[in-house]
Amino acid sequence: MTVRAPSGRDISDERGAAREPGATGAGGPLPSWLAEPEGYEPARDRDAFIGKSMLSVAGVLTRLRVDDGREAPFSPSPAFKLVLGLACILMTSLAQNFVFVLLMLALVLVRACALPSSALRRVAGVSAGAAGVSLLVMLPAILLGQGHAPLLLGTKVLTTTAIALEVALTTPAHEMMRALSTFRVSEVVTLTLGLTLKYIVVLGTVALEMLEALRLRSVGRNDDKRASVGGVGGMLFLKSREAAEDVAAAMRCRGFDGRMAAPARGGLRAQDAAWAVGLALLACAFGYLQSLV
Amino acid sequence: MHIPENYLSPSTCGVLGVAMVPVWATAVRRVRETMPREKMPLLGIAAAFCFLSMMFNIPIPGGTTGHAVCGTLIAILFGPWAACIAVTIALVIQAVLFGDGGVLALGANCFNMAFVLPMVGHAIYSLIKERVEGEKGELLGAAVGSYVAINCAALCAAVEFGIQPLLFTNAAGEALYCPYPLAVSVPAMLVGHLTIWGAAEVVFTCGILAFLHAVAPDFGLSSSAATADDKASARSRGAVVALLVCLILATPLGLLATGDAWGEWGVEDLAGLVGYTPAGMDGAWEWGSLMPDYAIGELPEWFGYILCAVIGVALLVVIFRLAAAAMRPSVDFDRARA
Repeated sequence: MTVRAPSGRDISDERGAAREPGATGAGGPLPSWLAEPEGYEPARDRDAFIGKSMLSVAGVLTRLRVDDGREAPFSPSPAFKLVLGLACILMTSLAQNFVFVLLMLALVLVRACALPSSALRRVAGVSAGAAGVSLLVMLPAILLGQGHAPLLLGTKVLTTTAIALEVALTTPAHEMMRALSTFRVSEVVTLTLGLTLKYIVVLGTVALEMLEALRLRSVGRNDDKRASVGGVGGMLFLKSREAAEDVAAAMRCRGFDGRMAAPARGGLRAQDAAWAVGLALLACAFGYLQSLV
Repeated sequence: MHIPENYLSPSTCGVLGVAMVPVWATAVRRVRETMPREKMPLLGIAAAFCFLSMMFNIPIPGGTTGHAVCGTLIAILFGPWAACIAVTIALVIQAVLFGDGGVLALGANCFNMAFVLPMVGHAIYSLIKERVEGEKGELLGAAVGSYVAINCAALCAAVEFGIQPLLFTNAAGEALYCPYPLAVSVPAMLVGHLTIWGAAEVVFTCGILAFLHAVAPDFGLSSSAATADDKASARSRGAVVALLVCLILATPLGLLATGDAWGEWGVEDLAGLVGYTPAGMDGAWEWGSLMPDYAIGELPEWFGYILCAVIGVALLVVIFRLAAAAMRPSVDFDRARA
């Protein structure tokens, strides 16, 4: 049988050829082409963007999977928590008295003290970023000597963003869906939100696998790698369409007629009464402080 | 002891600020090397004790007020370098949010209260603890250390005040900044600290230390959190939080003390005392803090005081928890295997 070397040479006749000096082995001498040092060094490849994309996709997946909301021991029921969060955001946004905003800031900070470490980092990072951007936008006003309004706005942005995140990060996604259905939010909206949350995980996993494959199969310098990212995006789109069709077919097979059965509504908890009193006190403080402006 | 804005010349502030830079750098390095990540939130709570103790203004006859600092307490619990960082952050929050101490004088205030105080306090505490054994030695060391340390810090502040009229005067011989010479500032600062405020520092330091030993023995650097079981550590955490809440609710007691601390008067009040406004203070830059003098707008004074305490304490805890999250996890494999 004729065996061809990678270079295309016929090596069958070289068996038993002159032994290379120093080449030893039980099965006979090494062929000369095998004993030659190759010195193969792959050209430096630039694939940092793949690593970054993979990390960001994995980060989103981790947040959705692992940090799926954690409730504190004295947490109100999800439905009431949603009302509480929305009311606090509304009052903070409407407040013209800085004192009320500071009061809300104190409450937000106290809640932040008891958040899990990962949630605290997200709340602090996102809220500080949002407040920083709003202050940057208002920079001309600050430079013109109007310091009060930007400060009020920045503190409001910081507080409201932190409230929204604290509600979101301490409520599991399925509890949030249940809370939304309690408020008679349209079935289509609830269904779309629920499916979206699940499919972010599914499609994120697919994207991660494709990026990993792209990285593993690129040997040496591959300048065409960036173009392949477009392919990953396209494949993801096709997969999502396929998955959507499959889910729709599966749901139809299981008797889905376009209406979603409302999930069992989460009942109110005993501690909701205490939270309601707290909300009423906050509303009174809001009314009193607004009347002073 | 908080030196306000413009009481020290910009050059004095600059020198002390620059002097503090290597101290802060060393403190950060040492804390990174020695402090386990899981202990950082506890350092935040210790910083909160320091912050709250500074809100309890205690009057002495003559119309001035002062307060404890609790820097020695943190140094005993977590080491002097950790105390340096904790007191520094508490002072920054006080200056920026509450106008307590000047932003320009931050370097000077940190030198007195975040460097001299914990270092002296910890050195004396260690010296006594080596010679007197047991809990008695620890409390004695804490008492003597905290008393001597707060007086050293007060002496430093007095010297900083007192050298201003020696170094900075105008052609008419009037002081440009703090108008009181050493002959006035040193006795004025030390009389209160050698008596009432020194005693207050001892009471705060020993009281909190004894409470922590009794209910939360795992609070501090020397004790290992791993030795306590979950239930016991949750109980001790609850006790510490309860102490913090009690202190926060008691802060309005600090409002009973009327009058300003020595060297912390407003410019008008100072002009009334010395008969002229020092030129360096007249129309000089001043940081407009969000909640000056721990007061919040139209809210009743006591409620504003409590709210400021809540904001300050929560902010300190959040900052130290974020710092802990940013630190690399430290795993001692030898200890884990043992």
